[in-house]
Order: sequence, then structure tokens, then C-alpha cells
Amino acid sequence: MEIENVIEVQNLTKIYRDFWGRKKVRALNSLSLNVKKGEIFGLLGPNGSGKTTTMKLLLGLLFPTEGEIKILGKPADDVKKNERIGYLPEESYLYRFLNAEETLDFYGRLFNIPAKLRKERADKLIKRVGVQGARKRQLKEYSKGMTRRIGLAQALINEPDLVLLDEPTSGLDPIVTRDMKDMILKLRDEGKTVVMCSHLLADVQDVCDRIAILYSGELKELGKVDELLKEQDETVLRTSKLDQNVIDQVKAVLEKNNVELINASQPTATLEELFLKTVEQSKARPGQRFVPENEQAESKESSTNGSSKK
Amino acid sequence: MTFDITDFILKDGVKHWLWVFGSVCGALLLASLLLSYVVTGMKGPGKVIKTILGGVSDLYALSLKRVFAIASLTIKEVIRKKTLVVFIVFAVLFMFGGWFLTGSTGARGDLEVKNFISFALTTTSWLILPVSLLMSCWGIPEDIKARSIHTVVTKPARRLEIVIGRILGYVVVGTGVLIIMGFAGNIWVHRQVQKSEEAQKALFCRVPLYGDMSFFDSEGKQSEGIHVGDVWDYRRYIKGATQSTALWEFEKVTSDILVNDKLKIEARFEAFRTHKGQMKEGLLCQVFLENPVTRKRVKLPVFHINEFTQNIIRINRKLKHYDEKEKKYVELDLIDDMVFDNDINKKENILRVGVRCIDPGQYIGMAQADMFIRYPDRSFDVGYSKAIVGIWLMMVLIVSMGVSASCFLKGPVATLLTFSFLLVGQGGFRQFLNEFVDKQVLGGGPVESIIRIVTHYNQVKELEEGATKMVAEVIDSGFFYFLRIAHQIIPDFSSFKMTPFVVNGFDVSWGSALAPSIAITIAYVIPCVLIGYFSLKSRELETK
Ligand SMILES: Nc1ncnc2c1ncn2[C@@H]1O[C@H](COP(=O)(O)OP(=O)(O)OP(=O)(O)O)[C@@H](O)[C@H]1O
Ligand SMILES: [Mg+2]
Repeated sequence: MEIENVIEVQNLTKIYRDFWGRKKVRALNSLSLNVKKGEIFGLLGPNGSGKTTTMKLLLGLLFPTEGEIKILGKPADDVKKNERIGYLPEESYLYRFLNAEETLDFYGRLFNIPAKLRKERADKLIKRVGVQGARKRQLKEYSKGMTRRIGLAQALINEPDLVLLDEPTSGLDPIVTRDMKDMILKLRDEGKTVVMCSHLLADVQDVCDRIAILYSGELKELGKVDELLKEQDETVLRTSKLDQNVIDQVKAVLEKNNVELINASQPTATLEELFLKTVEQSKARPGQRFVPENEQAESKESSTNGSSKK
Repeated sequence: MTFDITDFILKDGVKHWLWVFGSVCGALLLASLLLSYVVTGMKGPGKVIKTILGGVSDLYALSLKRVFAIASLTIKEVIRKKTLVVFIVFAVLFMFGGWFLTGSTGARGDLEVKNFISFALTTTSWLILPVSLLMSCWGIPEDIKARSIHTVVTKPARRLEIVIGRILGYVVVGTGVLIIMGFAGNIWVHRQVQKSEEAQKALFCRVPLYGDMSFFDSEGKQSEGIHVGDVWDYRRYIKGATQSTALWEFEKVTSDILVNDKLKIEARFEAFRTHKGQMKEGLLCQVFLENPVTRKRVKLPVFHINEFTQNIIRINRKLKHYDEKEKKYVELDLIDDMVFDNDINKKENILRVGVRCIDPGQYIGMAQADMFIRYPDRSFDVGYSKAIVGIWLMMVLIVSMGVSASCFLKGPVATLLTFSFLLVGQGGFRQFLNEFVDKQVLGGGPVESIIRIVTHYNQVKELEEGATKMVAEVIDSGFFYFLRIAHQIIPDFSSFKMTPFVVNGFDVSWGSALAPSIAITIAYVIPCVLIGYFSLKSRELETK
């Protein structure tokens, strides 16, 4: 069975012009791609590669210089498509004089959601993105991460079928990044289609089903993440810790079979994993504090209640 | 002060509006079709038509709920960004204004009242209008600059709803402030006049009924009235002790107009003396009522006119009249016997009032607005509130123009554009434009004028025939054509000035002030919304 395309883009080109109509930048060059229903699609690329431009074109915020866009079966400049779309802009462009509740209420009203339902959804979303403590504070007092979260909540107020997230994890701390990724995965589980763009490779790798890599406005790579990342001619073995003796034996066996040993060392965790672990542990034991080793001796002498490294 | 007492005729106004609006729309459509064809080829015109059809469907899909959402966002924005702090200036002005105003005109209480009213109303409009201009011109550009508008247009909000919502929001804020300021001003005026009894008495609104006027010369033929060589050709004169008459016909005179069974006529005369005569007393004047149908003419007692101030003539409903035929006094009823209908021009309930000068060799001068019947007086607050309504209408107009301009211009430029529109729509400039368009101004158009300046050529003399004159005429006629269009498009704000009515102790006239102002407001709000909508729709919401 053919899976329905939520987004179809054909030969999309965008040239930014200045006030006088002179060409400034070719931000996007003949981009063609499809996004299927129910997948998480990642747009990847370095700064200035045209990710945000693509998003804005999809939403009808910019007009294409050339090419065709079909989004949810409608052209990009059709306002009706917005009923089923949620959009988190690159930076949370919200009204800074509103508080969290008012923000969600305002956007809810734009969808003509009845007052009672609006309130329910706003409550749920505020909890879901974790800004309950600040729900009555104006957004101008928010930190970047908090603004980001309320930005996401705003994008989900209409329970959209298609969610466009422009760098959803920028400005977020690793825990919330993790949360955000979980939320994105959950959105997919709810049957929604997600298009996100990012230059944080780890994020994309963790959540995306398919990715497109853009480089200065051109599509360089497109496909399923695990297929793109699979190294076809390597095998990785993972064992409990080996001593040098055993390693030498393994080497001998491998050499006998004409296999090259590329690397044999203890694996390191990623910084992300380490950070996450540390934060989790300090949550479990709040009083604990890290003390460098040369200070440990002194602190033991001077005070009896000094904390120590675990 | 003179009043324009010509009534506004709605049907003609609408016709004129439809004509201008239609032709401007048509011209714009044609221009955009052509332009789009030139720029983008065959695809262009199709796109233009699609945009217009999109506009129709957006109008159809317009949701008031979304409009209100955006309006309330606008209101919150204005309040929370503390734009309204400016109005504290207003309060301060009011507190100190009284010190400077009292005593400045001497003891005449009724003149002081004029100052108070004019101060209150002028301050109100001078504060509310610039602030609403600024508010409305900066909202959308700021929204675009901060890109917060991106989160709105990616919701099902139509850009039409954004434009209307913004206008509505600013109007609501302005209305709120205006109500507060109006009340404050009103209370202030009332407090100020409490100091003198004279002033308190002068605080009311007269409701005039104006009539048509014509002059008849000493032979009884209709004439233009006598011109006595005044520079100001406003009043014309009648000659004393002759048949020379000024005749007014007031329409719609019914018993409703009587106060305590008396008809109250107010008149203002100017005297022109060819000899000194009785200098201590005013010229003698006679007023009579006439019914041409029954051929009855009732003469009222002769009186001395007061120059430069009002003459009040009170006429009892029961009139004593000496009947020449029956040779005895009969009693006539002012309404039943003297008021008549004119079937020829379908006018009803006409009262005819004539004025003659009795003093031989002297002249009395008057103009149409100089004599009017007074309806029962209204309270000062009525006229004052109407003047506030006038300011409100002006504010609505400014807000719509500001929002509309800000849809395609940045804040400062939009402010400038709206401001120049305002300036150009004011009386003085408009009059100049009128004369210019009618080619009453000497020296011709800009090119011709430049030629005259450079060659020191006299303004009155025709330019010499030749190529230069031809070129000048061609360019100038293009310029005049442009001006004539501008003349049609630029609003005429003179009818919005309702303060003078109240200041001079009149109720604000419906026909010559309120009705045309309302009509003008509506006539401009509609194209403003359209311009705003199409500009917002056809642009990318990025700052350039
Ligand atoms: N409004 C604009 N006017 C002119 N050029 C623009 C505009 N917006 C973006 N560009 C240009 O278009 C190109 C692509 O920009 P875009 O914002 O799409 O990149 P991006 O992939 O989102 O980058 P980042 O990772 O930094 O967000 C850049 O060269 C940028 O300078
Ligand atoms: Mg970007």
C-alpha cells in the first residue's frame, strides 16, 4: 500500500531579493522531497544552508521563486491548511507581554477552539512542557529554554497532524532536550507527522526516521537514518573488560582469518550520557557536591560534615 | 465665525463615493494586471486574479472570534507596553490649564466659557489624535520585526482578520481613553464655570433651524442684496425705508419648535450708516411674517438692532393682526395660520420671515446664517458629547489609515504618510488644492511657474507662444490630472471640526457636521482595510 505524502516539494528555489529587487542570496536551489505520513523527517545542514527557508516556504511565510509545494494536499498559501499544522519557529517569536496561559489562550482562539476546551488543552500543555511554575509570568521574564517550551506548547494547541519544528532543541539544557526528543517521538506514536530541522546531529540521529541533508541550499543526501549510517564493511564486537593477554589472543585469531583490527580500547560514554547520569544522580541525592581530589584531604580535617565524592 | 449650513446629502455622497472608489479600484486592477504581465509574463495576471478571488474567500471565511482575539491582543499590547503613559500629560495640563485661563479675558463670564470649552476639547483631540496615530502606525511593523506575526499567520488567521482586528483594538483603546478624557474635560468645564454665575448661564447649546434666504430690492424684485464695498463679502445689505427686504423661508416649522408657546428667533445684524443719525441707538428694524397662500402679512413691533451681538425676537403663538379688509383686529395662530406648504417644490410647513430697515438712508446687512429659529435649548453636555463623537470619528479614521499604511511601510514612514494625509485634508490646504485644481491660482502649474520665476515673467500675462509653452502645458496638465485625482482621494476633514459649534454655544449639527463625518469615516475605512489586507497578503513578512 502506498503511504500518503503529507508534504510534496518539487524543484523548490528561493532567491532572496533586496528592496530594489536585486538578487541577494540563492537560499534554496531546486529542492525536491516528499514527507510521508507518520514519520519524523529531519532537515539537516550547517548554518545558512536553507533549513529555515524551507520551513517558511512550506508555511507560506515566504513565496517561492520557483517550484511547487503541496502541504496536506493544499498549496502553501492556503490558510486552511494551517488548521492542521503546528509550527515552532526558529526562535520563539511570541508576544512577550503575554503570560503562558494567555499565550496559549490567544493561539487557541485563532483556531476558534471553544473556551472550555482551550483551557483544558492549555493546562495539559503547560504541564507537558513543564512551565507550570511560571504560567502567570509574562514571557519577557522567561529564560530562553522556557520560551522554547511554551513555543512548543503553542505549536500543539490545535492537536495538529503535521508539526514543523525549527531547531526544537536549540537553547534547551540536555534534560529538556531529552524530554523534547521524547515528546517528538511521542508525537509520532500518536500518528502525527513531524518535520524538524537541526544542525545537532545527535538529536537528529536519535529521533528521525528519515533525513535530508542540505548544504548551501542544495539537497546532498536523503534517506532513512539507519541505512545512511550503517557502515557496510565493519563489524563491532562489544564484550566485558578484557586484559591485554586476551586481546592479543583475539588479535592472533583475527590475523589468522585475514581480518584487520582497527581499534581495541575501552569505550567512552558520550558527554550527553555522562551529563544525564550526573543530573539524575544529583536529583536523587540533592545534598551531594563534587570536590576535587587535592581538596578532599583538607576538607576532611577542617570539618566533619564535609561532603565527599562518591 | 461662519457656519457652513449646507446639509449633507447622503445619496449624492454615496454616489460620488461609489464612483471614485470604483474607478480607483478599476484603475488599480488594470495597473496591477499590466504590471504583473510585464514583470512575470503570462503567469502574472492569473496570479493577480487569484489574489483577488482569495480576498473574496477570506472575506467569506472571516471569523469575528479571531478578529476579537487579535483585537484583544492589541489592547493588551498597548496597555502592557505602557503606551498610555502619555496621557498623564493630559491630566497635568488640565490641572494647570485653569490657572492660565481664568482671568485672561477679563470679567465677561460668557466669553470665558468659550475658552474653557475650547481648551477642554482641543486638548482632548490634540492628545488623542497623535497618540492613536503613533499606536496604529507602529503595531504591525513591530509585529513583523519581532516576527511574532509568524506565529499568527501560520494559524488559520486570515490577514484580513489581522488588519480588522488591529484597527478594532486600537479603536477600543482610543475609545476608552477618549471616554475618560471626555468625562474629565466635562467635569473640569463645569467646575470652572461655577466661579461665575454669568458663565454658568452661558453653558448651554442652542439648536438652530436655518432657512433659505433671498433679497428683494427697493422695487420688490428678487436681487442679490446690496454690496456696500466691504472687503468681506459675507453679508449683503438692504436699504432703509424702502421695499428692500431680506426674506427667509424656514422649513419644517411645527408646534414642536415653540418654547412656552413662543417662537424664538435669533438674529445678528450689521449696520451700515450713510449718515450719523441716532448714534446712541441701533438702527430701526421691522420683522414680519408672511403667508403667501392666504396673503396675510403680520408685522411685528419695530425694534432697535444690537450690532455685533445676538438679537432675540420672541413671537407669541397668538398674533394680533389688523385686518385691512374687515377693518378690525383679528387673532391669528402662528402655526395654524402663518405656516404654509409649497406644493410646487414639495416643501412643507414653511414659515416666511421678512426683515426691513426702517431708518431712511441707512442699511442693515445680513447673511443666510444670521437668522435662525431656535428649537428648545439643549444642555451643554449634549453638544459636548457630540463634539467628543467628532473626535472619536477622526480617531477611527486615523487609526484605519495608520494600520493600513503600516501594512506596507515601516513604522516611521507609515507615520509620516498618515500625518501628511491628515495635514493635507485640513481646511487650509484643501482650499488651496481646490483653487489649484480649478486653476484659479495665478501663474499656472509648477513648470510654468518655474519658467516665470526664472525669466521674471509677470504672473498675469500669458506666456509667449512657442515650444517652451507647449512643453510646460503638457507637463503641467499631467500634473493637474494627478492633482485632480489626489483631490478626489484626500479626505476633507473640515466637517470633523465640531468644537466650534459647542464653543459658540450651539448644538453640533447633524446635517452639516455629524452625518458627513460619519459618512467620510465609513467611506475611508473600507478602502483602508482593503489596502491593508492586500498589502499584507502580497508581501513576505520579513523586514527588508
Ligand atoms: N530575510 C532574508 N533576507 C535575505 N537573505 C536571507 C533571509 N533569510 C535567510 N537568508 C539567507 O538565506 C540563506 C539560508 O538561510 P536559512 O535561515 O534558511 O538557514 P538555516 O539553514 O536555517 O541556518 P541556521 O542553521 O543558522 O538556522 C542564508 O544564506 C541566509 O543568509
Ligand atoms: Mg534556521
